[in-house]
Amino acid sequence: MDPVESVRIALRSIRSHKLRSTLTVVGLVIGIASVIVFATFGASVKAEVIDDIEGSSANNVYVFATPEDDEGFEQVIQPVFTEHDVSALASLPGVTNVIPRGTVDANSLTFGNDTIARQRVTATTPETFDEGSIVAGRGFRSGTNEVVLNERAARSFDENVTVGDRLTLSLAGNRTRELTVVGIVNGTEGQLPVSNFAEGARVYVPVDPFYRTVVESPSVGVRQRTYPQVTVVTDPTTTEATKAAVESYLRERSDARQLAPAGTALTARTSGDFVAQVASVIERITRFVTGVAVIGLVVGAIGIANIMLVSVTERTREIGVMKAVGARNRDVLVLFLVEAGLLGAIGAVLALPVGLVVGYAATRYAEVTFALAPAWMATAVVVGVVVGVLAGLYPAWRAARVDPIDALRYE
Amino acid sequence: MSSAESDPVVDLTDVRKTYEMGGVVEALAGVSLTLPRGSYTAVMGPSGSGKSTLLNLIGALDTPTEGRVVVAGREVGTASESERAGLRGTDIGFVFQTFNLLSRLTAVENVALPLVFAGVPRDERTARARELLADVGLADRTDHLPTELSGGQRQRVAIARALVADPALVLADEPTGNVDTDTGGRVLDIFDDLHARGNTLLLVTHERHVAERAERIVHVRDGELVRIEELAAEGPD
Repeated sequence: MDPVESVRIALRSIRSHKLRSTLTVVGLVIGIASVIVFATFGASVKAEVIDDIEGSSANNVYVFATPEDDEGFEQVIQPVFTEHDVSALASLPGVTNVIPRGTVDANSLTFGNDTIARQRVTATTPETFDEGSIVAGRGFRSGTNEVVLNERAARSFDENVTVGDRLTLSLAGNRTRELTVVGIVNGTEGQLPVSNFAEGARVYVPVDPFYRTVVESPSVGVRQRTYPQVTVVTDPTTTEATKAAVESYLRERSDARQLAPAGTALTARTSGDFVAQVASVIERITRFVTGVAVIGLVVGAIGIANIMLVSVTERTREIGVMKAVGARNRDVLVLFLVEAGLLGAIGAVLALPVGLVVGYAATRYAEVTFALAPAWMATAVVVGVVVGVLAGLYPAWRAARVDPIDALRYE
Repeated sequence: MSSAESDPVVDLTDVRKTYEMGGVVEALAGVSLTLPRGSYTAVMGPSGSGKSTLLNLIGALDTPTEGRVVVAGREVGTASESERAGLRGTDIGFVFQTFNLLSRLTAVENVALPLVFAGVPRDERTARARELLADVGLADRTDHLPTELSGGQRQRVAIARALVADPALVLADEPTGNVDTDTGGRVLDIFDDLHARGNTLLLVTHERHVAERAERIVHVRDGELVRIEELAAEGPD
């Protein structure tokens, strides 16, 4: 039978039940639109995050220990990289700097009358500060009681901290240190790129004299400062090659290889690696949330199936007439499938703008840049039609099997 | 046109039809009947006599339990469901008591419907449908919906639909049952006209005066063909 004619007849039937068709379509629109909303939102967040990471130094190789079978960012906060490792890494070809990082066990930090408990204090080396990220003052010098705060930390006291102010750091074992604020920064070199967005208050002090985590170096046999994370700054033209050299050093000669606890692996990652990883994590989350939205689609499909079943019952006599005048089972099947598919297509087409508008609103609300997810949009539309047809299969099959003799008697 | 004897439109040979309904119900108990081309036959019988079953078999809507039903040269009993649908579409035209027009289609679309399933192109089928509507006096009603037409007009649309594929046989089931006497008379006039133009007609009715418009009356009772009454020849020229 002529496909154009089947579409015409199906449209006629959809139009003859305006309210019913509208409600059915609305159900489907909600389903498809929510898929588009979540997919668009996910794509926008992903684009934003990747942008952030790529903005950070591409020539850094971040070295830390992770649980062995973990693909994510989970970092084992266990000191494994000794001073020996740090200087060995520094002597690898293509390495311009090696910045160790550790956490100082601080109880609280006091400015004036305001004390902040459990303030996280990072011990690192002066190379961590680059010109571009210093907002005021300068970086600290090694072997001094100087401290650098990020902007958030500087704002976290009652009164804003400025360069020249003095802070009191209370350390484990009731020791206290008087610190002089020498700089305010809005970021540091060597900080893992993933921590950029969730930027908390950070306080930086020099490794010497504050970092006191020491372990005996297996290669040199003396107790040395040992860090959970080291950042290798490389010559930008040889980042990948240097990363390979770092990895082979870690694998073959490092102290860390012996100090790393069982079940952990030493990892060297570039910003690019992080981008790929963050992207895959966000994608997984997006896929999950979108999967939840697919439930809405299923509900929409049930709506179509339901209305098509009602329609088959109502039109039994009509089916009988069509069969009496020469409609084959196949023709009747196609007519009902086309009708269901059309409902799906109408839903999909209407859902597209609705989904985009709501998705856009969501990105505005979350303050991320709007990005399209064209593949998902196309999928949503195709799925709408497919869902319609699938939902129509059983009703259409029922219609096709109507016995014309019974149908013509049917009142 | 070939001779009626050698090329009947409908040929039933010892046809039986039984239904399983609690027990075995014999709707037709061995019926043989031939409808020559160009003939006009009426079937009469009380309800439950088997005349509906007979009509369903000749209309290729149903298959016989035993015996042969040949319509337009095709054996209905061995044809597939889809072949029977094709047969109904191209060789048989149905006229029902309750018109059975599709309510959402206009008169011309209703008339053209059998051609849709027969795969005739749109322009061609619309032109043909308009022509037939003009023949039954509805040239000015082609784009009306069935609800906008009177009972008589609806039945004329239904007759036009039955004729649209130029079928070998027109089957009418109580075609005057749902219209008033005057309108019924006009419907029967159309049938006379169709007969005069060489169409083969089979009409089921329980009204004697309706049946008398045919060339012969087949009386059915208890699933058997009890009598064939030949009426005064007033047949085709």
